[in-house]
Amino acid sequence: MRTLWIFPGQGGQRPGMLDNVPQDLKTKVKDLTGVQLTDDEEAYKDSIQIQLGILILQLYNIRQLQGIDEKPDVVAGHSLGVFGAAVAAGVLTEEDAIKIVFLRSTKMKEAYPVGFGMGAIVGLTRKEVIALVEQVNAPDVYVSNQNSELQTALSGSLDGIRKVLALAKDNGAQKALILEVPNPSHSPLMQSAADALQEAFKTVELKRPNCTYLTNYNGHAVHTVDEVKKDMINNLIYPVYWDTMMSVASELGIDTTVEVMPGHAFTKLIHTKLPDLRNITMSEMGIDDTEFLLKKWRKIND
Amino acid sequence: MTKRSWTTHRDAKNAKLEKVAPMMDGKFVKTENAKELLEDLIAPGDKVVLEGDNQKQASFLSKVLASVDPEKVHDLHMIMSSVSRPEHLDIFETGIASKLDFSFAGPQSTRISQMIADGTMNVGDIHTYLELYARLYVDLIPNVVLVAADKVDRDGNLYTGANTEETPVIVESAAFKDGIVIVQSNQIVDKVPRVDIPGDWVDVVVQADQPYQLEPLFTRDPQNITELQVLMGMMAIRGIYEKHNVQTVNHGVGFNTAAIELLLPTYGEQLGLKGKIVPNWEVNPTPTLIPAIESGWVKTIHSFGGEVGMENYIAHRPDIFFVGKDGTMRSNRAFGQMAGQYALDMFVGSTLQIDKYGNSSTVTNGRLSGFGGAPNMGSNPTGRRHSTPAWQSLRPDNDPLGKGQKLVVQMVETFGSNKKPVFVDHLDAEEVRKEAKLANVPIMIYSEDTTHIVTEEGIAYLYKTDSMAERQAAIEAIAGVTPVGLRSNPKQLADLRARGIVALPEDIGVHRNEAKRSLLAAQTMDDLVSWSDGLYNPPAKFRSWS
Repeated sequence: MRTLWIFPGQGGQRPGMLDNVPQDLKTKVKDLTGVQLTDDEEAYKDSIQIQLGILILQLYNIRQLQGIDEKPDVVAGHSLGVFGAAVAAGVLTEEDAIKIVFLRSTKMKEAYPVGFGMGAIVGLTRKEVIALVEQVNAPDVYVSNQNSELQTALSGSLDGIRKVLALAKDNGAQKALILEVPNPSHSPLMQSAADALQEAFKTVELKRPNCTYLTNYNGHAVHTVDEVKKDMINNLIYPVYWDTMMSVASELGIDTTVEVMPGHAFTKLIHTKLPDLRNITMSEMGIDDTEFLLKKWRKIND
Repeated sequence: MTKRSWTTHRDAKNAKLEKVAPMMDGKFVKTENAKELLEDLIAPGDKVVLEGDNQKQASFLSKVLASVDPEKVHDLHMIMSSVSRPEHLDIFETGIASKLDFSFAGPQSTRISQMIADGTMNVGDIHTYLELYARLYVDLIPNVVLVAADKVDRDGNLYTGANTEETPVIVESAAFKDGIVIVQSNQIVDKVPRVDIPGDWVDVVVQADQPYQLEPLFTRDPQNITELQVLMGMMAIRGIYEKHNVQTVNHGVGFNTAAIELLLPTYGEQLGLKGKIVPNWEVNPTPTLIPAIESGWVKTIHSFGGEVGMENYIAHRPDIFFVGKDGTMRSNRAFGQMAGQYALDMFVGSTLQIDKYGNSSTVTNGRLSGFGGAPNMGSNPTGRRHSTPAWQSLRPDNDPLGKGQKLVVQMVETFGSNKKPVFVDHLDAEEVRKEAKLANVPIMIYSEDTTHIVTEEGIAYLYKTDSMAERQAAIEAIAGVTPVGLRSNPKQLADLRARGIVALPEDIGVHRNEAKRSLLAAQTMDDLVSWSDGLYNPPAKFRSWS
């Protein structure tokens, strides 16, 4: 059996999601960043609360999985998810992950207060979307994340994105919408945040990954500290090539996926792309059921 | 002046074998010594063939090769007909290998593209199967070959059975040119059921920890055949098989051709074609052929490889298949490809993209899959001299020195499974050529070799066109509502139909409303088992029962 652990980014947060997270993780956040996580509706209008909340939820899931003696063969994080993935791969400590994510979310918030964000187009290929962006010729619009063959994101100025979305609808896109993301993430516009992370990582001690790590920025399978570090620093200025990451996971012989919390968006994506894999989504399954299934499958497989 | 030695290769081989002599018992090495064995027998820079086609993999030896110390074994020049398993590429990341010549990389097509772009891997070239086998005897003569057998006896004789595939062509290239032949075996026995490769050609045998990997690649569940595919199958039978009096054929692996196989005993029978078309096949033993075999349509089948679950059925049908005295099939990929290139009236396959000129490719964005055998089968061998009625039917009538042509048929729906047009102005392969720095655009089948295209709209008889403009018009006429197809107009279509260059279903007496799944001779895997008298045993993943 070969297992892929998936770490989602922002989007699946909901009030109360931190109910079961141990107090010591919440205290760590307070001690290291001064942020009190309130885990309510109001909190999840704020990018810092969202990012730190999702991070510690994932740190909790990692502890749970390690507690039942599970280890990943491959890890993949989407955007913010790279930090959970790096902790699961043994590269980053919990404490450093909290500090880095606090910095990342603060810098992102500072970078573009108004007028910038992201959009998504479903039903067109990346090539088709690139052609539409060229046609609009709006400055500051970038083709960003590739979540599946026909799901492409745009990042940049909202005015420009709206023009591309309108054109996409005229050209047969099934969906074309503005995402509730207040930053032009995964585009060159986030360079200042990447610079701050670069600086911060100079004093962070990283360990060699103990499993395969899939990079956001070019969808490669990597095994060194430098390559994981590069992805953690720079994923904000590059598209997330999620579709390529999942193709590579499949070519590496993955037969089982575990999606940590929150949500199940990536399980749905991978099930469409690779229907033969076995999937676990921790947001829908307690750790006991997770343990039962993984042990059962391992018995059948090995 | 010292006398020149003419036995340097033999001496080098003997020196290597002498080094491993302490761990050998005759030709046999213990499983746990395999890593040390490879470290001693493979030198840096060696040309190494690792057996693996799209079904059978020397999976034990590939795992061991990936575990050797890169300090001792590095910069190998790998020759692999199929790059399928993760470790086939892992060895390039660790430096054990640096150069690759191959045919097919479908199961690893994303990673191989990345490695080429990064410079992790240096690609010699992409080949068809036959080309790669041919070069093993000329300019890619291997130092070491790693192959897989089902059983090996005490003298080192190999039984490779139904999955003999490319083992003989690989072993021969090394055995007679001082290369080292290393075999992994599922089992070591006193007496093999039959000798597929003589022990005299084998240097070392290792008992594998697990049987070699084997994929049921050519099994298509009839349940998944659509009514559109039934329609296209009916059109092909009428408009091509019958029209050209086709006798010898290869089918690709898609559902389109599976539909044709299942329509022969029903629709073909209604047309009175039984005994008149396609008695002789070069094809893997695909289960969807069972009804056509049982009802007397198919007379002979030679196969490139085996198919999981078909063993017992084949053993009971030696009049049809190539079967040894022991009762199991003998396959041979090299001979199969040779037959597919030279001895067939027709190849019928499918593709992911066709451009406006009729060139087709399965290489799409970011995926360098290679082609395996399709270009051998899907090309017109200009060296062919024997004539058959089908071949002769494509002969141009205005050339006194003219000759016939192989029928090369592409069957595609105008839109692919991703709802994107199959007919495009430019193939993605053109971009891939730039990204992977290839000498040529990776085209699977060239326009000049493509004689027919079948879509749900109709058939384009490309061999009848006499200019590229006319060829493009014929393609547009059957390309539906794709951007290429929208260029066609009613006047042009009427003209092409009048001249027999394009046929719509009604032109060849095919009624769209008759294209029902109920016309298929078998509609489920269970039906195939019944047709086979219970002799076919589908792999678990194709069974709805257990």
